[in-house]
This record gives sequence, structure tokens and C-alpha cells, in this order.
Amino acid sequence: MSKLVYLVPLFPLLGFLINGLGRKSLSKTMVGIVGSGAILASFIVSLCIFFDVKEHGATVVNLFSFIRTESFSIPFAFQVDQLSSVFLLIITGIGFLIHLYSSAYMHEEPNEHFGRFFAYLNLFVFSMLLLVLGANYVIMFIGWEGVGLCSYLLIGFWFKNDNYNYAAKKAFVMNRIGDLGFLLAVFWLLFKLGTVTYGDVFANVAQLSTFDITAITMLLFVGAMGKSAQLPLYTWLPDAMAGPTPVSALIHAATMVTAGIYMIARSNILYTLAPATQTVIAVVGLATAIFAATIALKQNDIKKVLAYSTVSQLGYMFLGLGVGAYTGAVFHVMTHAFFKALLFLGAGSVIHAMHHEQDIRKMGGLKKYMPVTHITFLLACLAIAGIPPFSGFFSKDEILMAAYGKNPLYYYIGLGGALMTAFYMFRLYTMTFLGNFRGTHEQQHHLHESPSAMTIPLIVLAILSVAGGWIGIPDVMIEHGHQLEHFLAPVFAESAKLAEHHHLEASTEYMFMGVSTVAIIIVIILAVNAYRKYQDNGAENTGLGKVLENKWYIDELYDAVIVNPLNALAGFLKNVVEKSGIDGVVNGVGRLVGYGSRQLRLLQSGQVGNYILVMVLAMVVFVLIWFNDQTIMDFLSKIF
Amino acid sequence: MNAIIFSALAGVVMMYSGIITSKKTVIKYIAAIALVVLIAANLLQVYGIWQISVDTRDMLSFEKFGLVFNTLAFTATLIYVLLSGKEIENAGVNVAEYFALIFFVLCGVSILSSFNGLLMMFLGIEILTIPLYILTASDKRNLRSNEASLKYFLMGSFSTGIMLMGIALVYGATGSFALHTNAPVALSATGGIKASFLEVAGMILMFVSMAFKVSAAPFHFWTPDVYDGAPGVFTSFMATVVKAAGFIAFIRLFEGHTAILGPTWKILLAFVIVATLLIGNVTAVFQQSVKRMLSYSSIAQAGFMLFALYSSNDMAKEGLLLYSVAYSLATIGIFAVLIKLKDYAFDDFNGLGKTHPALAFATTVCLLSLAGIPLTGGFFAKYYMLASMVKEGGPLWLLIVAVLFAAVSVYYYFRVIQAMYFKEGTPSVQTEITSGFKAGMVLLAILIILLGIAPSLVLNLFYF
Repeated sequence: MSKLVYLVPLFPLLGFLINGLGRKSLSKTMVGIVGSGAILASFIVSLCIFFDVKEHGATVVNLFSFIRTESFSIPFAFQVDQLSSVFLLIITGIGFLIHLYSSAYMHEEPNEHFGRFFAYLNLFVFSMLLLVLGANYVIMFIGWEGVGLCSYLLIGFWFKNDNYNYAAKKAFVMNRIGDLGFLLAVFWLLFKLGTVTYGDVFANVAQLSTFDITAITMLLFVGAMGKSAQLPLYTWLPDAMAGPTPVSALIHAATMVTAGIYMIARSNILYTLAPATQTVIAVVGLATAIFAATIALKQNDIKKVLAYSTVSQLGYMFLGLGVGAYTGAVFHVMTHAFFKALLFLGAGSVIHAMHHEQDIRKMGGLKKYMPVTHITFLLACLAIAGIPPFSGFFSKDEILMAAYGKNPLYYYIGLGGALMTAFYMFRLYTMTFLGNFRGTHEQQHHLHESPSAMTIPLIVLAILSVAGGWIGIPDVMIEHGHQLEHFLAPVFAESAKLAEHHHLEASTEYMFMGVSTVAIIIVIILAVNAYRKYQDNGAENTGLGKVLENKWYIDELYDAVIVNPLNALAGFLKNVVEKSGIDGVVNGVGRLVGYGSRQLRLLQSGQVGNYILVMVLAMVVFVLIWFNDQTIMDFLSKIF
Repeated sequence: MNAIIFSALAGVVMMYSGIITSKKTVIKYIAAIALVVLIAANLLQVYGIWQISVDTRDMLSFEKFGLVFNTLAFTATLIYVLLSGKEIENAGVNVAEYFALIFFVLCGVSILSSFNGLLMMFLGIEILTIPLYILTASDKRNLRSNEASLKYFLMGSFSTGIMLMGIALVYGATGSFALHTNAPVALSATGGIKASFLEVAGMILMFVSMAFKVSAAPFHFWTPDVYDGAPGVFTSFMATVVKAAGFIAFIRLFEGHTAILGPTWKILLAFVIVATLLIGNVTAVFQQSVKRMLSYSSIAQAGFMLFALYSSNDMAKEGLLLYSVAYSLATIGIFAVLIKLKDYAFDDFNGLGKTHPALAFATTVCLLSLAGIPLTGGFFAKYYMLASMVKEGGPLWLLIVAVLFAAVSVYYYFRVIQAMYFKEGTPSVQTEITSGFKAGMVLLAILIILLGIAPSLVLNLFYF
């Protein structure tokens, strides 16, 4: 079965080609069937592969030789193992639900753009699958760049709006900064080890010096920072809300942002051997988690809150990676994928009902108009806040426990972030669904529950958000409850051997769980109480609130420190260096050739006598050079 | 031997076909069928299935390299006849004779790809050239066609004289016409190879004459005048199949003998290459007529093909085959479109991209291939030439000069593309453009792209 793994990315690729080429002629129904069907087919194959891996273990499937030179070769091969099969399920499973949802959500788009949208979505999933399946860093990089491109295309999907294009460009450029780090790391590996294939690299890490490993892992992490939106390269993700809501769901849940986590989890041996990098990752992750959470406290755009929440949650995942809890990070990727996809799709459902209104100050009381959306959204909020037994509780708890083992301070700060998460999520929930409706009368008139193509994905995701965590119940609660850990164990086996283990007393662990749960519940009650009777009185935030609302002015800071100086430099190069220097040289060469052409043309006089004269002269010169003139020979042999 | 006999026979058949029928189209189809038969006969020999054996007393030797070249040359001719057959019909009154002459040229090509002695080489060159004098003058009432033919004849005779003188000197020195007996005579005390004065002088004269045939500078002067004056449809043939055959003869003649010529050989050859590239590329920039531009471009391309002679290793020979195919196909394609237009000016192409998108696309691919842009056959052709030179330890500056001149060539090739796509106008198409022609052109373009993706298609022919 694993031999058929190429089918997994093949279906979305075919879907992309069919929808992309036939976007003008295919009907919307057809486009929807092809687009969603391709992902569904991939999901089914992924399921088979998952069980195959569970049964028979990991393999590498070689497809063909991609690049071959004398000194190294890069095969086009797929890595079919526990880690990639879990990611395959997340990508194709959630990807399919999002596709299904999109077929209803995007229905107002004109035919051609509808086809274009699905083509991009399929390409997005294809790239992500390539990223996850590649058996070496180069194939991963192809997918890595592919998701970057697709995010650009989808964020700027409504390209007639300049702001959206700007957001798309921002995402692309930010990602490119990270990609440079990734690329350098790959070259470094190739230079030192002569291979980029995972198996060979991980088997030969002993050949690398500590400096090399630290540098390579740091550079890879720079790549992950860009793709997974960590400080300081996170600013593109909130702006990426410019794309249609299903795209946000896809970027945040199934594809793209999890790429960085996957890459580090895949390279776990390298990271385990580079403790300095691990510390950096943990600190950056934690800082991002807190920083983004503070911003989310004061955002009023329903999607922006969710975006900062993703950045914050990704921070937790990196914290997990940084403290060596690889399973925990992957676990959190999975549960986060469930509830964040649900939150975004729920938000999309709300936006759909509110006629593209995204400001939560103008919502409220939607509970009675949209029962399915409301219930599922609430479940997702409970999951992300970390209330047991919802999925988020188990994964977040696992990361925080591991963090405590490494450094108790990580735990306390992380817990602070978790409390903020609970607060802003329930602020969002309360302002949207509880209280009185604060929108216009016309909007109220049109409020409706979304069609079943949108609510079915919500219900499925809600079930997963509730129950998804049960495959990772800590061993202290149920013996061998953490099935995911046992499943993934082979991938992280080498790292587990090297890493030091901190085992917490079962009682300590129970105590932390209890304390954090109680604290979170208190925060939730506070949030609901504070915003239940919210009225938009137009009061401006002041002090810290204003700073938070304006996202710590980070965008302005980047503009002032990086963008504007670069623009000034570019202006100088364009107006001075290029106009007076380079253009002169380039045009000069052109003029020289043109002049030469006009002169050489004159040789062609049309007189046969002249021609033959030149030929004879040349012949004489040849003979002379060959036989007589030693000085000419010496001179020429010096030159040639 | 099959190729020589069948091409000569086909020539005779074509001459009589003019008596049997006066329908020009029928004659064209007979020619096409004869070409197919010729290709088949040659392939039979390539695969060693069936061949006519004649005792030539070692004056001819049939090696795979030459036989594969025959196949390629005949196929290129077939494509040429299929694409430009209409224009051959309209070139003058005596269509059957034109086709007959083309077959005699092919007979010369077959001899040039298999000669094993100087005498046979001379015969091959003359059999190849004399029909061309006539084809050049085939537009009888056109003064320029006559002028071109006369110039060609005068200078061609001159070069033939030089060739004969060279052969005579070599014969005087070695007492044999055979190619492989005039191998190095003795090693001098310094380790260099000492050959007699007469032999080296003879080689130089033959070199000059061959350089004339392949239009290498400074012996290229006939090329622009003749190519420009001859009817376009025959220029197309001369610039492609005939020129490639010239190179095959050139490399067969000098392969393995460069040691006699000593180190000076490489220096002078490098000088000839640079001069050819310079004159071909730089002069082409200023031309106002596409036809004349293409004749300078053929000089420039000859400069690149000379690299095969410079390195004359296996890679160079493979590369030369690839170059012959890539260059011939592209040039045949451009000429096929060009001769459908009223005159040969750049402006004639204005707006072709709008009115005939398929033709414009195919022409663009051809031009890109000539310029050596990747994904077309021309790229790998140039790559093989330069790589073989580097492999042979050629100087780096020569490589850089070649690449720079290739960059210059982009200027004049892209002028045509610019005219087709970025200029307004209605192209003055003279002859009716059938859908068969369009399909043929698109197939040609696909073939060129295929060569650019998998050059091993041609190279494997050489190995299989």
C-alpha cells in the first residue's frame, strides 16, 4: 500500500490541473466535485497508508532520480512513516472538510473565479503534501516554496483590492526571508555531509561539529519562523486574513503554518544535539505565545482575534519543540488543527450570515439565529481554552508539563498565556453570540443559519475538537493512554535516547492540572461577565489598551526600521546608480555593437575581386605564421 | 553505399518524372516518396540489415557516425520538402530538375559523410556544390539570382583550385590519397611531431578551402551575397543540410591529423572562430532584411560549429550531430515562414502573432533555438560545443567570447519576435497558408522543444 503513496499528492495535482485549465468551461458543481473529490481520494489513500504504517512500519518510496551529479544525488522519494502519515491525515482530512465548506461559502463568486479558487486550494494541498512526504530536504523545499506561492495566490485572491494584494506581498516577502534561512541550511548540510536525504543525514550527524549543528538548526529555525509565523516574522499571518475565510482555515489548520513544526519534528535528532538552538526555540516560542495573546485581547475583527490566537498557539508548539516534547508539539498541531479549523469555519459562517461584517462590536446575540454555528463554536472555544476533557487540554497540558520539567519558569509564563487565551476566546465568543444584536436592522433581518455543506464540516470538526484529544491521554491518568506517543515513538526514538527525562510525580501533575483548570474556568467566567452586556459606546482605548489594539505598533516599527530605509536605498540605486552608471554601460555596449555592425558591414563590398583579395591575404598570413615568423609565434603563444 | 546509390538513382528518377507528368504537385510527392525510400534504404544499412556492397578499394568507409548523419540530413530534407514544397514548385519552370538537383546534392552529402580518401572528398564536394550553382540561379529572370550564382561560381572555383592544390601537395608528400596513411611521420627531438613542409602546406590549403565551404571568416564573403541573391527556398536548403555536410567533411578530414599541424593549429583555429563569431554576429545586428540577417546568422552559427573541429573529441562529434539537427530544423522552419511573406524585411513580420498565432509560435521557438535559449534544441547544441571545448582544455577566454557573442545574437533574433508580437500591422502573406503547413510548423516546434528537453534522443542514435 505504501507503494501507492504517490497517489496522495497526485490527486490534488490533477484537481488543480482540471480546475485550473477548465475554470472557464466547468460548472460550479463540477468544480466543487473535482476539487473536493480530489482531496477526499487523497484522504482515503492516506487512511490506508496510515494503517499500513501502523502494521508494517516505515518505508521510503523512491520514485525517480531528481538531481544527479557525480558527487551527490537527490532522489525524488517519499518518506512514509509514522510522522508523515499523521500529517497526511490532518492535511487531507481537514483539507477535505474545508473544500466541502468552500463549495458553499464561495458560491457567490463568478464561475471563472470559483474554478480558480479551487485550483489554488488543490495546489496548496498538493504543495503541503509534497512538503510532508519528501524524503529529503530538497523535496521538502519544493513543497515549502509551493505553499508560500499558494498562500500568496490565495491571500490576494480578491486581487482587485489593493490592500489585499499588499497583504499577499507581505506574506510572500516574510516567507522568503525565512526561506533563505532554510536554503542556507540545506546548502550547509550538502556541503558538510554531501547528502540531504533524511536517513543519511540523521545517520551521519556525528560527523558534524557542534558549531555546524547549531548553525544548521538555527538556519532551519529561521525558515520555520517565517512559515510558522514566529517572532519576529509573524506579521504576515494576521494580514493574511485578507483572503477568503476558508483559506484562513486552510493556512491555519491544515497547511502552511504547521510546516515549520513538521520540519523541526522531522529533524528532531539535529535539534536534540543542539541544546543552544533548543533554548532559543523555547524562548522564541514562549515569547510569541505571550506576545500574540496580549494583542488578541484587544482586537475587534473576528478573524484577527483568531489569527493572533494561531500565532500564540504556534508559540506553544515551538515551546514544546524547544523543550524536547516533540510528540506534544505534533499532538498540539493535530488538536489545534481541529479546533482552529472549526473556529475559522464558524467565523466564516458568521461572516456569511452577517454579509461580510467582521467587526465583533457590531455582532452579538447570534446564538438564537445560528444554533449549529453557536454550539460548535462554543465547543471549539472550550477546546482551545484547555478545559478537560476537550482536546486542547491534553495537548497543551503535555507541552506545559514538559516545559516545567525543563524550567519551571517556562511553565508559569506558559500558564499566563493560557489564561489570556481563555480570556480573549471567551471575549470573542460572548461578544459574538451572547447579549443583544448590535448590527444594523437590515443585517438582523437577513441572519440565517448556513447551508448544510457548511454546517456538516462544522459538526465533524466539533466532534474531533471534543474527542480528538483522547488519543493522547497522559499515562498518569490511564496506563498506555497516550496512543499517539506510542505510535510516533520510532520517529523520535533517537532523540528520546539522548534527551534527559524529567518525570513528574503523578500527584504534582494532577495538582497542576487542577490548578490550571480552575484558573481557566475563573477567567472564562470573568470574560463572559465583562462582555455579556457589551455596548458599543465608541470609547477609544487608552494607555496599554491602545498599544495592544495597535498590535504593539510592530508594523509601524518594521516600516520605520527596515522598509523605509530599504526603500530609500532602492530609490538611490534606481535614480543615481542605475540611471547614471549601469544604464550608461549597458546602452554603451549596445551602441558599440551597433557601431561595429555598421563598420563591419562595409567589408561586404559586393566586389568579388575584393573578396578574393582578402582571402588570399588571409591565406598568406596563415602560411607565414605557420612557417616563418618565430616572433609572431612567440607573441601569440603568450596570449593563447 | 545505399545512400549514395539511392540518392543518385532518385536524382535520375526525378529528372524523368518531369517528362512523365507536368503536374508540379505530383512531382513534389514523387520527391517526398523518393526521400522516404532513401531514408529507409539508409536505415537498413545503419541497422546492418541490408546493404549494397561495392568494392571501393577503401576509398569509402561507412561508419556509424556518417550513416547517422545521413539519416539526419535526409530527414531534415524531407521536412524541408514537406514545409517548403510549394515554394520549390513556384521557384521556376523546371520543377523536376530542382528536385533532381536536390537529390544530387544529397548524393554529395552521402559521399562527404563516408569518404576515406582525399580524392573521394573532392568528388563529394564537387557533386555537392555544382548543383547549388544551378539552384542559386534558378530564378532565371532575376538579375540578383544570376549575379549570386556567378559570384558563387567564381569564388567556388577559386576555392576548388586551392583544394586541389592542397591535395596535390599532400599527395606529393605522402604518395597517397588515403586519409589514414598520412599519419604522423616522425617525432622531432623536442617531442613535437615533425611533418614535411609540403604536407603541412597542403593541409593549410585544404583548411582554407574547407573554411570557405562552411563560410568561416575571413573566407565567408560569398555567403551573404549568395544566400541573399538565391531564391529563398534554396537558401534554406543551402544554409542547413549543405552546411552541416560541409562540417562533417571538415571534421572527418582533420580528425586525428591535427598533431601534424602542431600547436599553431589551435591558435589559428581560435582566431578563425573568433573572427567568424565576430563578423557573423556583429554584422547581423545592422541588417534590415531578415533573409540577409539569417545569412549572417548562418556564419555566426558556423563559428559555433567550428568548436567541434577545435576539440574534435567524441563529445564534439555528438555535439556536431545535435547542432546540425537543431540548427537545420530551426532554420528550415524560419525560412518556411519567411518565404511565404512578400519581401524579406523585418516589418513583414509585424502583427504575425495576432493574425497567425500558430505560425508565430513556431517561428518563435525556432528563433529561440537559434539563439540557444534553454528548453530548445539550440541550447544543448551550443552547450555540447562549448563543453567539448572545455573538456579538451580550450582557453577560458574563448568560452567567454563565444557566450558573449551568443548574447549579441539574441538581439537580432528577438527583433523578429518583437515584430511578430509587439508591432502593429498586417503581415503580407503571399502564398496561402494551409492548415497542414500550420500543423507541420507546430510539430517542428514541438520537435525542437523535445530536443531541448531530451537531447539524448539524437545522441542515443549515435550510440545505440
